[in-house]
Amino acid sequence: MKEFSMRQEYAWRSMLVTAFLPLFALIVLGQIVRIQVSPEAQIFRDQADNYAMVKKTFYPERGEIYDRDGHLLAGNETVYTVGVNIPDMADASTIAREVSGKLGLDYEETYQKLLNPYGLVFVPLKNFVRSDELAPLKTTFEQMKKDAAAAYQPSPLSGLEFQPNLQRSYPENELASNVIGFFNRDSRGNFGVEEKYNDLLAGTPVDAWVPQDPNRAGEIPKVPDGTTLILTIDRDLQAAVERSLDQALQDYGADNGTVIVMNPRTGEILAMATTPRLNLNEFWKYGEYFNQSYEYNPAISMQYEPGSVFKILTMAAGLDTGTVVPSTIYTDTGSIVVGDVLIQNWDRRPWGPQDMIGCLQHSLNVCHAWLSTAMGQDVFYDYMQRFGIGRPTGVDLAGETPGRLKVPGDLDWYPVDLGTNAFGQGVAVSPIQMMMAASAIANNGRMVTPHVLYGMVGDGRQVNINMEPAGTPIRPEPAHTLSEMLAISLENEASLALVPGYRVAGKTGTAEIPVNGYYDSSQTNVSFIGWGPVDDPQFMIYVWLERPSASIWANDTAAPLFSEVAQKVVILLNIPPDAVRLQVASQ
Amino acid sequence: MINVTHLTHAYRQAPWRVQRQWAGAFLLGLLALAMISALYLDVTAQAAILGREIQYLRADTTDIEHANADLQTRLAMLSSADSMEQRALALGFRPAKAGEMHYLVVPGYARPTGVSLANTNPPASAPSTPPEYTQSLLEWVAAYLQQPASGVAGGVLP
Repeated sequence: MKEFSMRQEYAWRSMLVTAFLPLFALIVLGQIVRIQVSPEAQIFRDQADNYAMVKKTFYPERGEIYDRDGHLLAGNETVYTVGVNIPDMADASTIAREVSGKLGLDYEETYQKLLNPYGLVFVPLKNFVRSDELAPLKTTFEQMKKDAAAAYQPSPLSGLEFQPNLQRSYPENELASNVIGFFNRDSRGNFGVEEKYNDLLAGTPVDAWVPQDPNRAGEIPKVPDGTTLILTIDRDLQAAVERSLDQALQDYGADNGTVIVMNPRTGEILAMATTPRLNLNEFWKYGEYFNQSYEYNPAISMQYEPGSVFKILTMAAGLDTGTVVPSTIYTDTGSIVVGDVLIQNWDRRPWGPQDMIGCLQHSLNVCHAWLSTAMGQDVFYDYMQRFGIGRPTGVDLAGETPGRLKVPGDLDWYPVDLGTNAFGQGVAVSPIQMMMAASAIANNGRMVTPHVLYGMVGDGRQVNINMEPAGTPIRPEPAHTLSEMLAISLENEASLALVPGYRVAGKTGTAEIPVNGYYDSSQTNVSFIGWGPVDDPQFMIYVWLERPSASIWANDTAAPLFSEVAQKVVILLNIPPDAVRLQVASQ
Repeated sequence: MINVTHLTHAYRQAPWRVQRQWAGAFLLGLLALAMISALYLDVTAQAAILGREIQYLRADTTDIEHANADLQTRLAMLSSADSMEQRALALGFRPAKAGEMHYLVVPGYARPTGVSLANTNPPASAPSTPPEYTQSLLEWVAAYLQQPASGVAGGVLP
């Protein structure tokens, strides 16, 4: 009976335990479910989500810049931030010794930075370290790591990190620096193409949420690189023109100079050389070269009185209106009064009866002042505006100046300006404006917009830029006639601008520089604008030298420089001499 | 009545047999739970490993892109206008003058107008991580249950 009672009691206890355990499990399960579905759980889940993902901005690689033949003008290279991850740092003194010794830092300063990180987890020791500069330190780092691993010890350089970043690099250093501009460490394009096309080059950054958990694979968006640009610049021609310009500055003792080479049919700028030039890989030295921003690229940013090169526009207007024809005779008396002011020739002497070719050949101020007054102010200024004088050309480079053309009605316009403007005084233009205006004469009366962008490459596709017309200020016939007149005038005076084997048209310009309100005859801006071959213009060259000391005349300075540049142009652009070209055409 | 009771006794399973069935069912459930847990652990571990691999590959891609940019820039430096001129001069060349050029008439020759940097290969599609590497088992089950049922007889047999 007792045994039965014990067995019964044991059975009850077993049943009790058997009942309790599932019940406990059920309670636990129920509690789990209750906690999981409670409103508080959702709050915790939301909080966890906030920490689980972090918003990160992915920046595209900046687009490259190439010349028209595919030579890299602006690319990217890896530079490193050398720093120490403080929690992983094993030996501050060894790190300080190695880093300061190999990267040229002060040991004590580096050591103190590591000892007193002021709460920083990562202490940067040096930024923008180039690969070749970093190589010795990396070698030591790897060697010490290997030795320490062999001895089952932590490396004394533990914690030292090299964080890679991309930095702009300019393989050609100073070449075409005025055209390219530079990209500074504030991630901004400055001057030239880098500034004008900054948004295209930079591309579009993409924001994405990435998981904090390193074991979780997050979707990182594919960020397309910035647009790659191809310029119309011909690198080899640019280098040759820059060399010629530098040599000319030495030969003629000029302060500064500008030479532009353009295709007058398309407006493509093939070379644009200016002085001084900045090594783009040392852009922080900008202040050593330039006082004002407009000095960076005088070809587009600096305006000046062009002098007699402007006469080609006056003559173009005269021919187009029919006011004169090449054979029109003007009897030059050496002076003319316009707006009660006496205007004289550059040599202050009369040249007697002259046809219009003679007026251009001898660069007679009086003849051109007569021509502008014969046309009348309304017609003259209408033509100047049609040629784009007084407004930006729209060249795709940052910082273009509009120049200045005073017109009747302006407070500072006087009647004498009609006479002086005709020979390029009292009017301010930039070299690129003169190029655009003269393109109408070389290009059958059609003016083209100068540009440096040849094409754009994005997503593997290339889009080339088409020629943009800028108006038709004169008819084709007067344009041909004027080209011919300018070619004859150069040949008649056996100008130093002539190019052996090629017939070219052009005009010199010597403009005195105003100093304290008066023109100083000892300081001049000398210019030359010309194009060729005359029957099929394929290049147009503008030369401007500031204050040459060897001679104040453009005939002696700008003209020979034009000839030298033109001879390089025909070789590098594979333009055969006229005789060969005409022989091929006749076949 | 006695017959009914007898019959019931005759077909009732022994208590120990019922208990064993219950225990078996419990163990079966436990086994299923263990299998699901093991499967879940395996899938999660694989996803984590692959996640790490993706991260390493991504870092490698960045390194290679940087290396490419470096090499391209270095090549451009080595073949810059100034470098090429120095090398040409060192080899005894000098710039040609206009009078020294000889031109040949080549029928059909067209002067090259400009470079083409367009990529002739189709651009690679953006890599995307398939959901198999990012979904947990529960997320997969939830997605499976939420997707509209596809008819088993959707296909047309000939």
